[in-house]
Parts: sequence; C-alpha cells; structure tokens
Amino acid sequence: MKFLIKPQNYLLITLMVLVVSCDDYLDINEDPNNPTEAPIAGLMANSTYETAQNTFRMGDISTNYVQHLASPNPASSSDIMDRVNYSGTWSSMYNVMTDLSDMIAQAEVIGANHYQGAGQILMALNLGMTVDAWGNVPYSEALDFQTITPAYDDAEVLYGEIINLLNQGVSNLSQETDVPIGADDFIYNGDVDKWIKFGNMLQARYLNHLSETAAYDPAAVLAALEDGFESNDDDAQVIYFEESFNPWAEVAIDNAGLLLGGWISEQFIEAMDGTTYGVVDPRLPLLVSATEDGEYIGVENGAGRGDAPAEGARSTLETGDFYSSETSPILIATYFEQKFIEAEAAFEIDRERSYEAYLEGIRAHMRKVGVSSAEIEEYINHPSVSVGADNLTIADIFEEKWKAMFLHPEAWVDARRFDYQYEDFTLPQNVNPELQGEFIRRLAYPDSEISRNGRNVPDVTLTDPIFWDE
Amino acid sequence: MRNKITLFTFMIAILQFMNVQAQERVISGTVTTADQGMPLPGVNVIIEGTRTGTVTDFDGNYSINAEAGDVLSFSSMGYQTVKRTVGAEDEINVAMEADLQALDEVVVTSFGIERETKALGYAVQELSSEDIVQSNQQNVVSALQGQAAGVQITNAGGAPGQSSRIIIRGINSLDPNADNQPLFVIDGVPVDNSTTESAGTPRGLSNRAADLNPNDIESLNVLKGAAATALYGVRAANGAVIITTKKGKSGAMRINLNSSVGFEEINRYPDVQEVYGQGFSGEYEADSFWPNWGPSMEEINQIDPDVRFYDIWRDAFRTGVQFDNTLSISGGGENATFYGSLGNLDHKGIMPFSDWGRTSAKLSGEVKMSDKFRFSGNINYTISGGNRVPHDRFMERMMYWAPNHDVTDYINPDGTMKTYGNTNPLYDARFSTFEDEVNRTIGSLNFVYSPVEWLDVNYIIGTDYYSDSRTEITPGPLGIAGEIPLSSTGFITETRITSRDINSNLFLTFNNTWSEKISTTLRVGNDIFERDYERIDATGENFVIPRFYDLSYTSQISNSQHKRKKRLVGLYGDLLVDYDDMLFLNITARNDWTSTLPIGNNSFFYPSVNLSYVFTENIEVPDFLSFGKLRASWAEVGKDTDPYQIGQTYTSPSVYPLNGQVGFTRFSRFGDPELKPERTTSIEFGTDLRFLENRLGLDFTWYKSNSKDQIIPVPVSEAAGFSTFVTNAGEIENKGVEFVLRGSPIMTEDFSWEVSFNASYNKNKVVNIREGIDEIVVGSQFGYAGSTVTMKLIEGEAYGNIFGSSYARYGADPNSIFLNEDLPIIIGANGFPVRNGSQLVLGNTTPKWFGGLRNEFNYKGFDLSFLVDFRTGLEQYSQYDNFMAAFGIAEYTLARNDTRVFEGVLEDGSPNAQAVWLGQGVGPDGRDYGAGFYRNTYRTVSENFVHDASFIKLRNISLGYNFQSNILEALPFESARISVAANNIILYTPWDGFDPESFSAGAGGNAVGFTGLGYPGVQSYFVTLNLSL
Repeated sequence: MKFLIKPQNYLLITLMVLVVSCDDYLDINEDPNNPTEAPIAGLMANSTYETAQNTFRMGDISTNYVQHLASPNPASSSDIMDRVNYSGTWSSMYNVMTDLSDMIAQAEVIGANHYQGAGQILMALNLGMTVDAWGNVPYSEALDFQTITPAYDDAEVLYGEIINLLNQGVSNLSQETDVPIGADDFIYNGDVDKWIKFGNMLQARYLNHLSETAAYDPAAVLAALEDGFESNDDDAQVIYFEESFNPWAEVAIDNAGLLLGGWISEQFIEAMDGTTYGVVDPRLPLLVSATEDGEYIGVENGAGRGDAPAEGARSTLETGDFYSSETSPILIATYFEQKFIEAEAAFEIDRERSYEAYLEGIRAHMRKVGVSSAEIEEYINHPSVSVGADNLTIADIFEEKWKAMFLHPEAWVDARRFDYQYEDFTLPQNVNPELQGEFIRRLAYPDSEISRNGRNVPDVTLTDPIFWDE
Repeated sequence: MRNKITLFTFMIAILQFMNVQAQERVISGTVTTADQGMPLPGVNVIIEGTRTGTVTDFDGNYSINAEAGDVLSFSSMGYQTVKRTVGAEDEINVAMEADLQALDEVVVTSFGIERETKALGYAVQELSSEDIVQSNQQNVVSALQGQAAGVQITNAGGAPGQSSRIIIRGINSLDPNADNQPLFVIDGVPVDNSTTESAGTPRGLSNRAADLNPNDIESLNVLKGAAATALYGVRAANGAVIITTKKGKSGAMRINLNSSVGFEEINRYPDVQEVYGQGFSGEYEADSFWPNWGPSMEEINQIDPDVRFYDIWRDAFRTGVQFDNTLSISGGGENATFYGSLGNLDHKGIMPFSDWGRTSAKLSGEVKMSDKFRFSGNINYTISGGNRVPHDRFMERMMYWAPNHDVTDYINPDGTMKTYGNTNPLYDARFSTFEDEVNRTIGSLNFVYSPVEWLDVNYIIGTDYYSDSRTEITPGPLGIAGEIPLSSTGFITETRITSRDINSNLFLTFNNTWSEKISTTLRVGNDIFERDYERIDATGENFVIPRFYDLSYTSQISNSQHKRKKRLVGLYGDLLVDYDDMLFLNITARNDWTSTLPIGNNSFFYPSVNLSYVFTENIEVPDFLSFGKLRASWAEVGKDTDPYQIGQTYTSPSVYPLNGQVGFTRFSRFGDPELKPERTTSIEFGTDLRFLENRLGLDFTWYKSNSKDQIIPVPVSEAAGFSTFVTNAGEIENKGVEFVLRGSPIMTEDFSWEVSFNASYNKNKVVNIREGIDEIVVGSQFGYAGSTVTMKLIEGEAYGNIFGSSYARYGADPNSIFLNEDLPIIIGANGFPVRNGSQLVLGNTTPKWFGGLRNEFNYKGFDLSFLVDFRTGLEQYSQYDNFMAAFGIAEYTLARNDTRVFEGVLEDGSPNAQAVWLGQGVGPDGRDYGAGFYRNTYRTVSENFVHDASFIKLRNISLGYNFQSNILEALPFESARISVAANNIILYTPWDGFDPESFSAGAGGNAVGFTGLGYPGVQSYFVTLNLSL
C-alpha cells in the first residue's frame, strides 16, 4: 500500500498544530482567587483592624503576668509564666507590618502621603509592641522578602527606628494630599489632625520606655506630648462591630457559656476594693462582674479557683462592662495613658506638673469608663490618692497607671520597668521553676521562628530583660 | 432512580450488538485452551516467514488468507506455541497447552498495555482479585499493605473510611505538602486519589480511592520507578497503581454475591495509672479541671466514699460493626460482554457516632463492531461519606476527662451536656457533627481501530467527576439555665467541592516483525489532562433558634471561594524491540507542557530506556534454574506543581466586610517567578530467577533515584514577608533494594502451601538545598512547654529527622545536631535534669526496612492464609504520651510521690547525689516543688516522647472453605465459599500506646512521624460468604 503522504507526516503536522495552539491552551495560570494588587483602602482597613487585634493579643498574653486576670485553673501556663509558644501572635504582628510596608510603598507611588504617614505610625506601634515582648527581632531584613531568614536587629536600634517612623509619619500627615483617608480608617475615620496627635503621643510612650536606661530624656518625652492628645476624644481606638465582636466580649461570652476565661485576679480586685490601698475604687463595677452575692472576689494567680463553682462565685469579665461589651472599643493609645506618661516624665523636672498629670490621668480614665463626676472627685479627694505634689511617689504613678491600663499590653511594659514592685504583688502559685524565683521579663521566641529561622534566633531565657529593662 | 434507568438503557444497548456476524475468510478456525476447551482470544496467528498475521477474537475465532503449504504459527503469552501446516481443509482448530513456565507472566503496564513480564526492564508487582478481597480492607490502598515490595502503606487510623497513605520507594519530593503518592489509573484512565482533610481539627477523611469497591477489581499492578511510569509523564512521577476492573466473559451469565460482616475494637491501649484521681497538688476536688493530679483513690474515698475510678479509655469506645455486600452480574455473547455490580458498605467505627458508608454501581461492557473496530465503556457511580468524629479533639477531651466521672453518662434529660465542668468527649462527638457526602462518577470510553494488521489506533477518553458536600455543625447554647454549651455561639459551615478531571489519550501502535528473530512495537500518542476544581465555604455563626441548623438563621456569615484549573498536554513515543524472545529493549520519550509553570519554563522532555535479558534462553544453565532474567533501566521524569503558585498576591480575610469595608492582606505564599520543573533521574537493576520448575522464585531489585530542582513551598520566617516561599529548592536521593521471594514448598493434589516474602530497604538523603535556605520544615506537632517537635530537612541528612528539646548532656559536642543519648544527663542545682531547648535530632520517622510475609495453605476445599507485615528502624513523636505525662495519666506518673536521686552529673561533671521529690506542692523534705517533676520537667522535654515505632503485625489471617462439587450439586450454586478472617489481632511493638501506625495528619501530607491524638488503630473480625450462580 502506498500513502500519498506518509502517516508519519500526518502525525508531524498534527503535532505542530498542537504545539502552536498549546501556549493559549495552557495560559490559564492567572490566579482567579487572589488579586495581584490590593486597593490602598483595603490595606488601611485591615491594618487598623489588625492593630487593634494585636493590641488585644499582646494584652491577652500579658494580662495574667500583670495579674489583672487569673486563670480559674491552678498552674495554668499563662498564670505561672511558663514558656508558651506564641507563634500565632508573632505571625499576626508580622502580617500587619508586612501589609503596612506594602501600604507605605504604594502610598509613596501614588502620592498618598496621609496613608503613608498613618502607615508609618502604625508600623512604629506594631514594631514597638513586638520589640517590647521579644526584644531583638527581625526588621531591617524583614517584611519585603530580602531573605527567607532575616537577621535579628538589636532592640535598641529598633527603638531608634520607631522614633524615626513616628517623625516621618507626623511629617507626612502634616502635608496636603490628593488621596484622603476615609471610612477605611477604623481608628480615626480619616481625621488627620488626630493621627498627628497619635504619632506624637506614641513618641512620648516609646521615649518614656527608656526610663531605666542612660538614654532616658524626660524633657524629650514632655516635648513630644506637647503635640499629643488633648482629651479623651483624641484616643486611638477601634470600636468593634456587630459582625465581629470585641475579643474581650468573646472571652466574656464564652465564660458565661462556662467555657471558662476572663477571671479577675485577686491582685486587681484587692487593689480596687480598698484592701491594698484603703480606698474603694468606683471603677470596679464598671470593669468586672460581681458575684451572685454582690461581692467582688478574685482568684489568686496560679492557684486556680479552688472550691469555687464555675459561675457566680468569682468576678469575671462580663458583657455590658466597659472593656468587654460586644461593641466595646479596643484602646490602642489614650489620653489617660499620656497623662501618666507625663506624670512620670515630669516627676524629676516639675513635681507640680507631675502631680497634676497623675490626677488628670486618673480622672480621664474614670471619665472614659463612665464614672460619675461626683464619684471621681470623691475618689480623687481620698487622702491616699490626693497625696499632694510633695508626697507623690513614682510608685503612686505606676500603681494608678496599672489600674488604668487594665488589659492593655503597656501594663506589662510598666510592670517590668517598675520591677513588679506594686504593693503586695507576689509571684503566682506554682510559678515556673525556670524563672528561679523571678518574674517573667520577656516572651520566649516562638516555635515557628526556632524551626524556620533557628540560626538567627537569639539564645535567651525568660528572665533576660529587654534592653530598656536593665 | 434516574441513574438506574440510564444504566439499564446502556446495558440493553450493549446487548443489541451481540448478534453482529463475522466476515468470511479462506482459512478459519477456533483456538481453545487444551485443558478446559475455553475459547482463547488474542492469539497471534502468523504465516511463518511472512509478515502476514491476525489475532483471534473474543471467542477464539480467527480467519486468515493462506495458501496450502503455509505454516501457521499460533502464539499467545502463557501458552506453548503451536505450528500447523495448511492442507486442503478450510478450518483449522487449535487447542493450546498452557506454558507452565510462564503462567503468571502477563502484566498490565502503562495505558492498559499488556506485556510479558520477561520483556520488562523494570520491576512490577501484581496483586490478584483474591489478594485484595481476602485482606478484608474496604480501602484499596490498605489492601496493598505488606503485599508489595517497596510499597509502604500507612493507615492514618481506625476511623471508618479514614485515609490510607501509599508511598513507593520512599519520599521523592521534599515539599512538605506534596502528594508523594502514586498515580491511580483505572482501566487506562487516571483518577483522583487526593485526601482533603477538614479545615479545623482532624477528622480522618477519606482518600478518594476509597470510593472504589475492591470487589470490582480484577487485578492491581504497582509500577515502581520512573522507567515503569515514563509514559504517564509528570503525574506518575511517584509511581503508578494500575487497576484493571472485572470484565464480563462470553458464555453463560454469572451472578456473584459477596457478603461480609465485620466487628472491630481497639487493638492496643496505652498503659494508664488507676491510682490517683481528680484534683491538683494531691488535693481532691470533684470539679477540678485537672483529671489526675489529685490524691489516691484511697484518700478520695475517705473524703467521699461514693467516688469511683472508671476505666474511661475502654468505656468511651464501642465495638465497630461493618457490613459489606456486593452483587455482580456478568456475561456476554459472541460480540459483546458486560459486567455490572452493585455494592454497599456500612461501617460504624469504634469511636461513638463515627460512621462511613459507600454505595457503588458499576457497569462495563465491550462490543466488537467488526474485526477492525471495537469499543468498550465503563461507568462507575459511587456515593460515599459519613459522620467524621473529630478524633483529635475527642482524644484531647478524653485526656482532660477525670476518670472519677462516668464518661458515658454525658447528657441531661433536657439535652444539655452532663458534666462536672470539663467538656464531655462523647457529647461533643455526638453533637459537633461533620458529615460528608461524595457523589462520584468515573467513566471512560475506549475505542480500538485496527485498519491494517500492523496498526492499532487507540483512543481512551475518561472523566472523573465528583462533588463533595460537607456540613459541619457545632451547636450553640440551647438556652437552658446552667447548661455548659460546646460553644457560646455555635456555627455551621457548608462546604461544596466539585472536581472534574478529563483525560484524553490517543495512541497509535505499529507492530512489525522484521525477521523470525526481530520484531518491534512502536507507539506514539498524545495525552491531554484537565482538572477543574472549585470549593465554596460558607460559615454562619450564632444560631438564632437553638437546634435549628441552617445558614439562613445565623447572625454572622462569612464566605470564601476557591477555584483551580490545571491543564497538561503530553506527546510520547515508545519503542519496544524484541530479539528472539530473549533480549528486549524499550525506549520511551515524552514531552509535557503544563499550565502551572511560567510560559517558557513549562515544557519539558524526558526519555527512558530499559533492557531485559532472559539469559536462560541464551546460555546453558543448570537444570534447577528454570528461568532467569536480568534487567536494567534508566529514566528521567519531570514534574510540575499546583496552579497559581507563582508571584505575589493579596487576599481578603474572612472577617470582612466590616462596616462596609473590605480589608486586604498580603497572601502568605510567594512563588518564584523563575520556577522550573522538577526532574527525577532513576536507575534500576534487577534480576528475576525461578528455580525447580518455578517452585521457587527470587526477584531482586536495586534502585537509585535523584530528584533535582524540587519545587517546594518552603516555610519561611514570617518576619520575611511571607510564610511560604515556593521555589526549586533542592535535591533528594533515594537508594534501596527490594526482594521478593516466592515458593511453593508443597504441591500435591490435595494439599498445597505457597509462601511469598517481600522486604524493602530504602535510604534517602537530602543531597542539597538551595542556597539561602538552611533547612526546610516539613511539619511540626505541639508538645507542652517547649516540647513541640519539628520535622526538618537539612542538607546531607536523611529525610524524616525529628527535632526537639532534650535533656542536656555532659560533654556533648556543641556542633552536633544529633542527640547523643549515651552521654550522662546534666542535673541542675535544684536536683532535676536540665532541659536543653536547642533543637536536636531525636529520631527519624522513615522506616529502614519494611515488608511482609504471606502464607497460603490449601487442603481440598479449605484454604488458610495469613499475612504478617513489619516495619523497623523508625521513631515517632507520641503526642499522646506528652499529654498523658502532663495530665498525670501515664502509668509511669505513679512515681509522683517518690523521692529520687536523678542519675547524671552536675555541671562540673561530678555525680549527682541530691535527692528530690517528684510530687506537687510541699514535699516530705519541706521544700515546695510547685507543679512537680512531671509538669515542671518531664513534659517539657521532647526526648521523652520520641519512641521506637517499629512493629510486626499479623495483618490478616483468613480461613475459607469452598464447597466441593458433591455438596454444590444439591445447591443451586455454581460455587460457594465461606470464610472467617481477622485483621491486626497480633501486634508486637516496643511502642507504648495506641497502635503506632495511626497518625493524625491524614494521607495527604508528609509529616507522618507524629501520632497526634489520632484515631486509635483497630483489630477486626470478619465472616464472609461468597455465592456464584
């Protein structure tokens, strides 16, 4: 049999046609699920939301260390300052910083300098929270994928970067912009003046963290807060949503459903009910629940609830209270915190100013949580509070600030700077023996970093202080 | 119902073709088997000295133009060749004698091509229908366990329908999530065998091959090594499992019923203490969170004489039951055959409320339209699914449950949970449901057109379509005062997955006999594959009406959608040269184009060559050697990746929209824009020797494969900007040997004994890792207080090393990554061993040796078979042990009130002499020991929980009786068989705990060295009845 064209040639022609059409047939690899670019407003929305979430997350880790809360179970790892793997929180901190890095870069390209400035301020804040928890962390080689094993930067150097970012942020926000921030900003709804105040307030906060170091410059702290918050109206906070409840409210709801959590430490109750300081604090009922008998009773950290039943016999977080309602705000940085910073910074420079700031800090927090002015004044006028400028001690400032910073991660920074010297403050029961009788000074580096970036992870113990805590 | 009608119509259509008549020929005849007179299809009929020839049809008929004096040669694999000289007659009928020497010598290779074993230059191993059915495994992957050399099967656990993992010749891909499992091919069409685990807590979902009814399988071949699978291309880079399903045979219609009932229970428990009850620090509290750190029962009973100590670990489980029934009908006429089956499996597991079932219907048929054209069709419809109890969470809650409370007394009359405080595992298992239903259709059409004698055109088109619909519900509060709900809000998640595979494969086969000694087969073809996958998840939280579970009645809703599409085009050629039935050379080449790699890098070519030399045909050998062959192969295979791996993207977290805003975040994965295909090069040498007229056989294989440019989603520091980086990251090498030893020590008319043993040794090494990456994390598993372990890959080391914390050792080499257990432990100033938090290698999770031994005895109608399988030389992390130490459950925590001097040395090397108390609180020496040794020290050291996980198992033992003809005469059956069997009844292992085979990750991932809180392994007992009409 003879072919006009050999079968091999038919085959060749077919193959050639196939190969030519192949490229189109195979060009289907563009991801239909995830876009390659994100709207800047979308980055802003997520960054402000996640910054509030991170404030919660860091507060949630440290609130048992500062004995605001206590576990209903004995020897729970957070109470006894165990080595706990916080890979999830670490990841959350870096996720928001990564997004901020993209937002800042995109803002620079499109000339959105308000977005750029707000991004720099949020970057400084998240970096600050990360450094305060872990010390040396990756930053200079991090976020933009220069390497897969970013080196750990010195914490002190990173503090310089935080101040830089805040300065740049304020400067960018002070200029005109073509791309204004809007409702995508869950913190200030696009109010640029408040962003500028926020940047200055944070500068005061981080400069004040240096109180135990030689670099501490209280005058610089006072200078920074000159342009900071002017009232509670300026507070940086995210009010939570019907679609997504305040995370402390979730804790309270779970606890009400007997998935136990959010129990108040005996330390905090006694500080507020007159046991420790001889003055009953009117804020207590606004922050935590009473028992079925109408009393306020806490749990000793590390000891568990003992023979107390699962509900009704101890104080806990509850919905309806200031911090733990469904749509409560998460406080990121506040006017009252700024006042306590001012009190501390002015303490050695201008005792009168320090004292006034201390009293205004208490008042501002009381107004914030909804104490009536009569009760405020009654509390302020109590001799153990109105000690007078001459008798004011640094301990008074730290102790009042510790109450006002309920559930906030700054409370742990303060506790470490103050060496946990609060009145009647003791180690938890069943304390982690690795601490050898000391309080915890930092978090252990997360398991994820130890497994993925192990060679760069510094070798530290839980009692090694962060640089500002020497 | 509609599906049944469709099947019925299809069946009628096939029957219609049965009466098509054959055409006339000059010389015709029928070829039958000599022993039974059965028609023999596929016999080559060739006029000697010419290239003219034909093949017998299904009924053994042939016709050929031939002249008187021509010599017709009838040859068929497995039969002795017959030669007849054409005389005056028009009809030549031939009865062919079986060639005993080569009875088992035909295997199905790539694309359903049958080849003689002796022609293969690589190792394959075949399992028959009996091998599979007698294992009593509902999952075809599990049925392979211990039966094939080089094939490692690991059952993820004992849950009904739970996945089973298959790895051939070791891990080829370093990708922690890569599917290292072989391609599954059913009747020439690749099918999906993925395992999609639940998003949250592990629930033991199925690998998709579980949708296949093992009763429908005629034979199963395992193609190991790149040379065997080169024709399949990228998708078979990990080997292939070629399944041939049962077909109808011409002749009387046959009806077969297979019915089996099975019972199962946990085969092994951990050792637990039964002395100390609820509380902490030795103080009893009836509602304490702590289940076992209280005082002894003696002391508890002094406080409350009514308190009991329940054996919760046995109380919480039940006896599992399974029923499996398959009815099949097959038959056919001259030109058409069919096979149809209906199967139903119903399985209730040992963990309460866990169940899984499968209903399958299959119909296949083949029609011969003419001598030149035939086609066959195959359709398989399966519904499978069940309630997947969250075994991991169940077992975790078992850990927390105080044994002083009856765990089975879990519900109050009003429907709320009955508990002293902690969540009851049974209540959670009952109400936190996760039900899946898979509806799957696998269908194929196969056309064969033979226009001329030397050419066959084959076209196979197949589809594998399934929908997987999953509903997960966790109830919220019922609104009853004082209740402890499982969740304060409750939620429902509806997941809908649809996946559609289409495979099209066209190939032309050119046969040529060049001379009496040389013949060739050339095959060229084109293969196109497309997978279209979509998944939609919708979650509603906060049920508005308690116990009314519907997305519409929840107050917070979030959705997500995921689409995926992949295409693959391949061109291939395959040349087989046969020299005098003695030397066989096979060369293949294939080029693939994939849609998942960047254009420019997406085309890849790879060749293979293999050679088989049957030396017993060529050289004089002693009589006792009846057959001998040497084989060698070299092959290269490319491999692509999943869709959409390249570049950087953004995603919106599920919490949005909030206040009308949609937030965005950078997607955590970044894919190298320069991504290239992976390449695996493998070489293999082997021999197949048969002695004493096939009474004894030895098959030995040595292989080595290197996979380069591995595409790996490397988990990277989250600080880097991504958590995963997909790149060509390294090379892995696997080397190993495989033995198969077969024997028939006794063969008499009444009694026979057959034995088969296989063993495999595999050694792998991470040859290199891309610059800039020090190590690759394959997976990690939680352990308390710094005892989390990680499986990591390090250049120069073996795959599967487990890293974790250890006790500090005196004199340890600070540069070594391995723990030296022989060095003395350092004891701290407090008298307790010092923990070393730096991550050292504590063990390796890949078995060095594994294999199986199968024995089969036949005596008249009785048969007894048993299969023992083993694995050795591996360690695993026991998360169970970690939890049991932390919660005072493990038997060794009975030492909690002991005073001990820990063996070891102080920092300065001097022996430790300090006595310390192991208990909690203030010890007899007045010192406060806090939470005690087990919580402060023991549970924090990973070393304590990494154990030898070797085992020897009596995998299966089965005793059957085939009713003999004298009984059958009185019964309406053609054949009848009854058998009893038991699986996993003997387990020998140094491991303490549940069956070490179970692991929590499921078959999809590679992090198998962690038990998790996996579904405990089971032992089972079966009674099976098989009747044929």
